[in-house]
Parts: sequence; structure tokens; C-alpha cells
Amino acid sequence: MFEVPSLSDLNIAATLPVMSLVLGTCILLLADLFVPQERKQLTAWLAVAGLGVSLALSLLSLGDVTRFGDGDEAFAGMFVADTFTDAVNVIALVTALLGVMVAYNYLERTGTQRGEYYVLLLFTTAGVMFMGAAGDLVVVFVALELLSIPLYILSGFRRPQEASEESAMKYFLLGAFASGFLVYGIALIYGATGTTGLHDIWIAVDDIVAGDATSQYLLLIGAGLMLVGLGFKVAAVPFHMWTPDVYQGAPTSVVAYMSVAAKVGGFAALLRVLAAGMPHFVLDAGAPAAWQDTVWLVAVLTMLLGNLVAIVQNDLKRLLAYSSIAHAGYVLLAVAAAGSAGLADESAQAVVIYMMAYAFTNVGAFSVVIAVEKDDASNTGVTSMRGLARSQPWLAAAMALFMLSLTGIPLTAGFVGKWFVFKAAISADLFFAVVVGAVTSLISAYYYLRIVWYMYFEEGDGEAVIPWPLAAAISIAAVGTLFLGVMPYLLTDMAREITLAFGG
Amino acid sequence: MDITIQHGVFVIFTLVTLGSALLVVTVRNLFHAALYLMLCLFGVAGLFALLTAPLLAGFQVVIYIGAIAILIIFAIMLTPQVTRVIKTTNAQWPVAIVVAVLFFVMILSVVSPLMDELGVDDWNADFTQEDADRVPDSTLTDFGESLVSRDRFVLPFEIASIMLMAALIGAVLVVSPDAILRRDESQPPPSDTSVSADTGASGD
Amino acid sequence: MLSDYAPAAALLILAVGMSFVILFMSRLLGPYRPTARKLAPYESGMQPYGPAIRRIPVKFYRVAVLFILFDIEIIFFLPWAVIFRDLGVYGLVVMGMFFFILAVGFLYEWKVGGLEWE
Repeated sequence: MFEVPSLSDLNIAATLPVMSLVLGTCILLLADLFVPQERKQLTAWLAVAGLGVSLALSLLSLGDVTRFGDGDEAFAGMFVADTFTDAVNVIALVTALLGVMVAYNYLERTGTQRGEYYVLLLFTTAGVMFMGAAGDLVVVFVALELLSIPLYILSGFRRPQEASEESAMKYFLLGAFASGFLVYGIALIYGATGTTGLHDIWIAVDDIVAGDATSQYLLLIGAGLMLVGLGFKVAAVPFHMWTPDVYQGAPTSVVAYMSVAAKVGGFAALLRVLAAGMPHFVLDAGAPAAWQDTVWLVAVLTMLLGNLVAIVQNDLKRLLAYSSIAHAGYVLLAVAAAGSAGLADESAQAVVIYMMAYAFTNVGAFSVVIAVEKDDASNTGVTSMRGLARSQPWLAAAMALFMLSLTGIPLTAGFVGKWFVFKAAISADLFFAVVVGAVTSLISAYYYLRIVWYMYFEEGDGEAVIPWPLAAAISIAAVGTLFLGVMPYLLTDMAREITLAFGG
Repeated sequence: MDITIQHGVFVIFTLVTLGSALLVVTVRNLFHAALYLMLCLFGVAGLFALLTAPLLAGFQVVIYIGAIAILIIFAIMLTPQVTRVIKTTNAQWPVAIVVAVLFFVMILSVVSPLMDELGVDDWNADFTQEDADRVPDSTLTDFGESLVSRDRFVLPFEIASIMLMAALIGAVLVVSPDAILRRDESQPPPSDTSVSADTGASGD
Repeated sequence: MLSDYAPAAALLILAVGMSFVILFMSRLLGPYRPTARKLAPYESGMQPYGPAIRRIPVKFYRVAVLFILFDIEIIFFLPWAVIFRDLGVYGLVVMGMFFFILAVGFLYEWKVGGLEWE
């Protein structure tokens, strides 16, 4: 006989931030039907309101003002509502807010203003939030699809344009392929452990480590296949092929959002699966986790390829695409660090700090690209930055700040992020990878500073369109980048509270 | 070793699945490839049935053969090249074969010792009868319960509905090029509305 | 065990067999005295030209996509419906939420004109 659970069994209250966003999105979708085409700013405002409510709830929870529900599990461990979840929520929601702000005028002047844009953007955000809160591999998969499907559609949002359609097609086909790998990995992990719950996997890993080699290899291959699937989402190197094409073809406002959101979701899920689920999965006693070598190798490849190929790029969107590949490498370094005993929490903190810094910086950088981009999606070459310092001094200053932050110069957010990532990696004895990270950061200075050079030292008309929502978004991103760089304590103190529920 | 009827059925379904899967990737006519895909999916449904998962077999038939394969055929029929026999121009197939074989060997080398571990010492053992006892009497009711049980899949189930809704919006958006074109006044409306699938792309 | 599938197998064999029988029965039983005119696809009709498989309007595709989505929805409904008495009000609420979310999508689609043919 079926036993009916009570509401407190389910602990639905713990899922309040994400559930409020889902409900808000449903309302937004219905409300949008009654918003006339020429007044779509109303939809954008409603989307901001929905995101704002959810952000407020997440901040309350993160700041420990109130915890929703009791305990940090809901749906019997399917949903994990710990401080890491709150941090992922905040990053995802801030990115989404900036994403809505940069989109509004851009959609209007490119003739693709539709309410569905905001609805899909909010759905993706909900997907990211679910991924950060996943306590079960099935939730990881469903949330990944919820994250991906709206992004496929958004990439092709600029419908009549071939480049946009092509990018959506490429993203979709490769993304579906990557999802297949993820499911295969989940199946093998289930085969090895007999469960899909991350906490149960965490328990089962002890037996597997003590047991025979077969289950160990099964688990190892399963984890590897999941790394493939999630590595695709975060654009890690052997699976990065789609990134430049998709970023170049998709509407820039979408890229600004998804370059951060997809990464946040992907890394959150990677941490949940690897750092929380199987940090103690070792092949030899006392060694770091079995997956650590693979992850740091991927991280090294990602940093090298992303930074080296970015040097020869002449299109801003392509350049930033390779830059975003490179940054995935730095975050992967922190994920790899979680494989050493006792470092899961520290690396989760590093990932959160890095992603927060990256969210402000990267959305800001793409916002500047939006400002200089023409209505027909042209003028995104590096040379379009020429003379920007003279015609738009504030815009150029903000762009220079973002470029410095992406390089990782001190007093910017990027430096703080890299500092914590490298610190975690050094604690995990990944010296070679850290050296590669430091050297590639130096290399990256070349192509980031080249943009600054174009803005300040070359002549050009430096045309840019900066309506006020875009200006506000750039300002927020710039203030955030500077603020986190100059006063990192606020963020790092908050991050110090972050623990993965059963990590360590 | 006695050969039971299960063995015969298993061999038939395996051959159907593998053979048609091979044909899907080698056959030159895209339309025929889609038809072979249906056959391949049917073979998989048969294997599910042999594994005492009749519910999955049913879902496989209803969703994959009944809907997704049809959708693929529709998609092929939308393309202008539908009647042309397409040459498979993938120059990388030797690499693909090497990778596929390597992957197969890797999986096999992991799974085959597992057979010993689980007590399947005879590869030709009657694999259905013993395992059948371990399967719930009705996978249908078990599945129904697991969809709503709090410690099973109620959360993914609800997220799936959100995902389906996102897909629904996407379907409406992607497949109505006219609606988007109408709003975008800079683009002339497609002259031939019956084949409006690709006119959006030719706008620039 | 496998005998549970006997009806399904019988149906399968019957269906495949029937299609062959229908294809060849008229040839076997009926008189067969062909002329050029009789062999034309439409006797005394228009001369058909072009391939049988043609490009179809994109609208069909939309119907197919929507069919898949609602097909999956039905698949989720089925196991629930079998035991919905056991699940009681709780089961109804869970399925109600599932249905509500999809109903919102359906409403959207209806209002936007996704269900209209022209």
C-alpha cells in the first residue's frame, strides 16, 4: 500500500527560491500573452520582478537570515538546499538579471523582441538552480535538459539570420550528443553503486573502494562519461568545438547570459557529482580521488588551447568564446583540487568565488560588444573597438576594467577568483597545472590588452549605442568587478560558509 | 547447453537491432535511413521485453517508433533535398570505427568480469526465468508509484513537466517562421508560404 | 515468461503476413492480362510525374512536435492512472501540478496560434 507523505516530509519550503522562479515564469508566460507587441518592456520588467523575488529569497537564505524548511534536504535528498545551493542560486539569478537588462534594447533594435525570450531565459535559470541543488543523478540529468533546451532555442532566436540558425543547430546536435554521454555515465554509475542518489553513492563508494576492481572501473568509466557530458556544457577542451561557432552566431545578449549560466550549472553539477558524491573514490589507499588526474589534465588542455587560440582571433565574440573556454580550464582546476582528501569544501568555495567574479566580468564584456554591435549583427571585429576611448570614455573604461579582470590583474574580481582557484590547486599538490595556469594567464594578457590598445591608442569612429538598461547593466557589472577586486572580504567571508552537504 | 526459445528470440532481436543500426549509418538515402532507424528502435523494444521490462518496451514503441521516428521522417521531408540520394560524405569514418571499437572494448572489459561477480558464470544461462522473479509483478504500478513517491522521482517528474513546457514554447517558436517574419518588417514575407521552412534563411 | 508475449507476437506475425498476402493475393487469384494502358498508375487518368516523396509544409512538423510532447505526457499519465485510487489526493495533487504546468504551455500555444493550420 502506498504511503502518503506529508508536506513536512517533502520539505518543499527548502526549494522556495527555485520554485518561486518557476511559478513566476509560468505567470510571466501567461501575462506575456496579454502584453501588446509594442509594449514588451512590460514583460521584461515582469521578468526582472520574478528574478528579483527569487534573488531576494536566495540572499535571505545565503545570508543566514532565514533558512527555508528544516534541514538542508528536500524530497528525501533529491534536492539539496545547502549554502552551496544558495550561492549557485545567487550567481545564476544575478547573471539572469543582467541578461534581461542587456537583452531588452538589443532585441528591439534587431527586430526580435518577443516575450518568449524572457520566459526561456528564466527557465534556463531555473535549470541552473536545479543543477546546483541536485542530490540525485536523475535530477542532474533533467535539470541539465531544462538548462539546455531553452538555450538551444535562444541561440536561434534571431531567426531570419543564417548565422543564428546555424549556431542553434550546431549547439542542439552536439548538445544532444553530450546529453547521451551523460545518461550513459549515469547508467554505469547506477550499475556500479546500485543507486542514483548522490548521498547513497557517497556511502556505496566506500564498499566499492574496499571491493573488487570491476565495480571500481565501472564507476570510473561512469564518472568519465559524466565528465564528458558536463564538460561539453562548460566548454572544456576536447568538447569545446561548438563554443566559438555558437557564440559567434547566437544573438550577443544570449551569449552574454549563457557563457556564464551554462558554466555555473555545469560546474555546480560537476562539484555535486565528483566532489560531493565521490571525493573518496580512490584506486590506491591514500591517493587522491581516481578522477582527479583526468580532471586536471582536461583543465590544463583547456587553459592552453583556449588562451593560445584566442590570440589569433579577430572577432570579438569569437575571442571571448575562446576566452570563456580558457576560463573553464581555471575553474576545472578547482574542481580537480576537490579530489584530494578534505579539499572538497575549499574547492567549492573557490568555484563559487571564481564564478561570481566571472559572472560580472564576462557579462560586462559581452555588454560592451552589444553596445558596439550594429543592428545587423555586424561590427563585432576587434577593430570595432578603435577610438572607443575618445567617443565613449566611460564605456572604454568599463571594457578596459573587464579585460583586466579577465586577465586576472590585482584589484579586479578576476584576480580574486584566480587566487582562490590556484590556492585550492596548490593545496591539492597540482603544481604543474598551477604553473600552466599562471603562464597561460600571462599569455592571455596579450589578447585582452590588445583590445585595450585598440580602444585607447588607435584612431577610429568608435560608434556605440548605449540605451539606459544596457548602461545600467554595464555599470552594475563594472561596479561588481571593481568591488569584488578591491574588497574581496565580503564575498570570501560569505564563501567560507559554503560546504557541500556531505563532502569532505 | 540447451537452446531455449529465448535464445532464438534474443538472436533475432539482436540481429535486427545491429543490422538496421548499421544500415542507418551506411545507407545513402536519408529517408531509408529513417525507416531503418524505426526497425532498429523496434529491435531495442524487443530486447527490453526480453529483459522483463515490458513497460519500457511499450514506451519504446509508443514514443520512439510512434512519435520520434515519425518526427524524423517529417524533418527529412521538410528538406529541399528530400528526393535526392545523398552521398555519405564523412571522410572520418575510419577514425570513427577505431573510436567505436575502442569504446566497445572498454565497456566490454569492464562488464564481462561483472558477469562472473553476479554469478552469471554461464553466458548461455537461461537469463530470463531467474531474473523474472526479481522483477516486480507489475512494473506499471511500480512505475506509477515511483513517479509520485517523495523518496523516488517526484521532483524529477515535476522538473520534467517544466522541461516539456520549455520544449513546447520552443516548438511553437521554431516552427512558426511566418510569425517571426511578420513581426520583422525589414524582412519581406516569404512568397511561397507552403515551403516557408528555409525562406527565413535566404532573407539575407 | 515469454509466452506472455504470445498475443503480441501473433499480432505482429499477422500484421506482417497480412500485408504480404494483400500485396500478392490479387496477383495470384485474379486474372492477369496486362496492356500498356492498364499498367499505368491511373488508368485513363493523368500521367503522374515527379517523385512520390515530396517536400511537405513546415506546419506538419509543428503538429508532429506537439504530438511528441503530448505523447510523453500521456505516457506519464498512464502508470499514474492505473493506481490513482491508491495514491489518493496526494497523487492527484502531484499529477495536478504536472498537468498545470503543461496546461500553461498548452494555453500559451493556443493563444499564440500554434494550433491553427492557416
